Amino acid sequence: MENVGSQARVPQRTYWETRTLGRMWHFFTSVRLALVLILAITAAVFAGTMLDQVAPSVRSDPAMYAQWLTRAEGRYGVFPTKVLEFFELFNVFHTLWFRLLIGLLTVNIIVCTLNRWKGIWRTVFPPRIRMTDAFFQHARFNAKYVMDERAEAAAATVKKGLKHARYRVSTEGEAGSVALYADRNRFSRFGTFISHLSLVLILAGTVVGGIWGRSDPEFIVPEGITRDVGLGTDLSVRLEHFTDEYYVEGPPKDFRSDLVILKNGEEVKRGTVRVNSPLGYGGMKFHQSFFGQTAVMTVKTKDGTSLYDGPVPLAWQTREGNRPVGSFTLGTENLEVWVIGPRSGESDPLVPAGEMRIEVYESSSGALRTATNLSQGTEQVVGGLNFTFGREGRFTGLSVVKDPGVNIIWVASALMIIGLVMLFYMPHRRLWASCKEMPDGKTEVRLAMTGQRDSQISAEFERVRQRVGKELRSRQAEEDQVQGGNHV
Amino acid sequence: MFEVSQYTFVAAMVALAAGLALYLVNVFGPRGVRSLSFNTGGTQETDSFGSAMKTAGRYGSILSVNAFGFLTASIIARWIAAGHGPFSNMYEFSVAFAWGAMGIYLYFESQYHARSLALLVLPIALGILIYATTVPDDIQPLVPALQQDLLLTIHVAAAVVAYGAFAVGFGAAILFLVQRKKGMGWLPERTTLDEIGYRSVMIGFPMMALTIILGAIWADIAWGRYWSWDPKETAALVTLLMYGGYLHARVIRGWRGERSAYLLLLGFAATAFTYYGNYFLGGLHSYG
Repeated sequence: MENVGSQARVPQRTYWETRTLGRMWHFFTSVRLALVLILAITAAVFAGTMLDQVAPSVRSDPAMYAQWLTRAEGRYGVFPTKVLEFFELFNVFHTLWFRLLIGLLTVNIIVCTLNRWKGIWRTVFPPRIRMTDAFFQHARFNAKYVMDERAEAAAATVKKGLKHARYRVSTEGEAGSVALYADRNRFSRFGTFISHLSLVLILAGTVVGGIWGRSDPEFIVPEGITRDVGLGTDLSVRLEHFTDEYYVEGPPKDFRSDLVILKNGEEVKRGTVRVNSPLGYGGMKFHQSFFGQTAVMTVKTKDGTSLYDGPVPLAWQTREGNRPVGSFTLGTENLEVWVIGPRSGESDPLVPAGEMRIEVYESSSGALRTATNLSQGTEQVVGGLNFTFGREGRFTGLSVVKDPGVNIIWVASALMIIGLVMLFYMPHRRLWASCKEMPDGKTEVRLAMTGQRDSQISAEFERVRQRVGKELRSRQAEEDQVQGGNHV
Repeated sequence: MFEVSQYTFVAAMVALAAGLALYLVNVFGPRGVRSLSFNTGGTQETDSFGSAMKTAGRYGSILSVNAFGFLTASIIARWIAAGHGPFSNMYEFSVAFAWGAMGIYLYFESQYHARSLALLVLPIALGILIYATTVPDDIQPLVPALQQDLLLTIHVAAAVVAYGAFAVGFGAAILFLVQRKKGMGWLPERTTLDEIGYRSVMIGFPMMALTIILGAIWADIAWGRYWSWDPKETAALVTLLMYGGYLHARVIRGWRGERSAYLLLLGFAATAFTYYGNYFLGGLHSYG
């Protein structure tokens, strides 16, 4: 990577460059800007890791957010909370300023890519073959040999050595002087673009997901019930059975839901969803997320008309007592019924095992009408209606996701790794050689390689030098033998 | 097999501690001291001390290679005993981290012969192993979220190689900053230390990126969300960004050298935080 940032300080500028657009372009060509942005984003992500982050659903509800802030004040103190809230540090990843930083870095990456494209292209195709004598003398890595043969013959030997070292060789000859250029992994020069642009592609993937993605992280289906998925699809899901298994030691072993997926009421797919094996249909994926108990309830009027008959998922917890709780409404009666189950794992004085507590509220006013416990299997009259708690069951909590951006993310991820591997493990190596005939008829062979003072480059030069040197020596030995023969 | 794993774990700790002691002798041992009298003449005394130091260094390396071998054996034995990749709790992850740090260190020792690096990297590995003895080491069955043997193994393997590389980069950066003046003969030259730091990031950075990508793939399979801003995942991103900053700083005038070395220190702080962070941050990675 060259220091493109320093270009901004070159005093002579063209007309275009002095214009605002040109200045902005220059501003974004800076690696220094990239570093500042990376460090700023790092600090922001770090803040987001250290500080409690408010869930988007809570943030969008003023009452819940106020409550959340009160709790934050308890943790961080009143004044610090105000400051943190002012800078939106409880919501780092969804704030405008965080997106602005990401946006600036994206522009930075794109501008740097465009800015460097030409230079790197020129390094790769077509390279400069003939270099000056001074270049060979001053190159950080260089070597010199003298051969008793014509320049063309010596060049052929050098070329052979370079090919053995797995270099690609180009030559440019004139009378008594042959120039050679050799390189390997030249396409790795583009590794930097591949890995940087993969970041832009990841961002594009998140945008695609944000626009066309649909999800319901809390899709609850009780056993035996079919529920419409919604989210713009005509799919529905039926839970045949939910199973949770535990190891003898206690920790959970398996959570699985046997599901049927229906399209317009027709069964289209059937399968078991586990935590690490989702079920997919038509771009929609169903993941096992949570589960819980249901209470199968029936409600009838005095004359026997059924108002409700089905399982009520107890998917929430009461704030006090941590009891499982769920609700259903009786629209015709303007009532909302809350069903509270017994606390698990210990005896519960309010809701004994085998019972369900119901609290009946008026839907419009929210006033508590009545509350009582129901024992399993017995019909009880509550507020003029016949309530029965039939049995307990299970529900599954699925995370339903459709994200067309996710494949873009995977392609980008693969590109990032490919780019990094090219950049770090297959570096572009370039070597120049010159074979020049001297007045005495001998040929001077010079090798040169440029690069940082780095043991890897130096080792690579050593490897190539030995390879070429070996070819030259064996060639010289042949030559000597032939000459020796003549003398005798 | 579980017992084999425990025995080899202890053997690794002993070999590592002894190796570390020998490295200390190698780096700080008497060098060219002439005043101590031996049976033979002064010049030979120097030589005998010099060679004793070299011998200490060589045996230090041999012991470290042994420690690495024992640790490898311990992981394999536990793998067989558990029936899945032993990377599911803090004990197992700590052993793997120490394994990564030692493996990467030994690779760099073979490349640069800079044994002074051992004085910083091996105590980190030893410290992690000592920490591992304080957490429960019984084999626990896998909870549903972790029942993905392939991803569990390669996600964690990539992470420990990255962490190990960053530990070596940290060591190189400290030595770089200590080597302020020229002539600190017991330390490698600054250019060498800078190169070791850079090459450690060349290993660590792609591995960290791979760790995050594999984590995202796994999260997408298990939860349907490739990214959740989970604390451990965010901490890993902080680490990756920090080393991304280092890679760019290294080509900016005024940021080469010391400032870049400080970034390596910050990067390793982020690494340590990522490794340990799930303990006090909670989130999706808190398995125990």
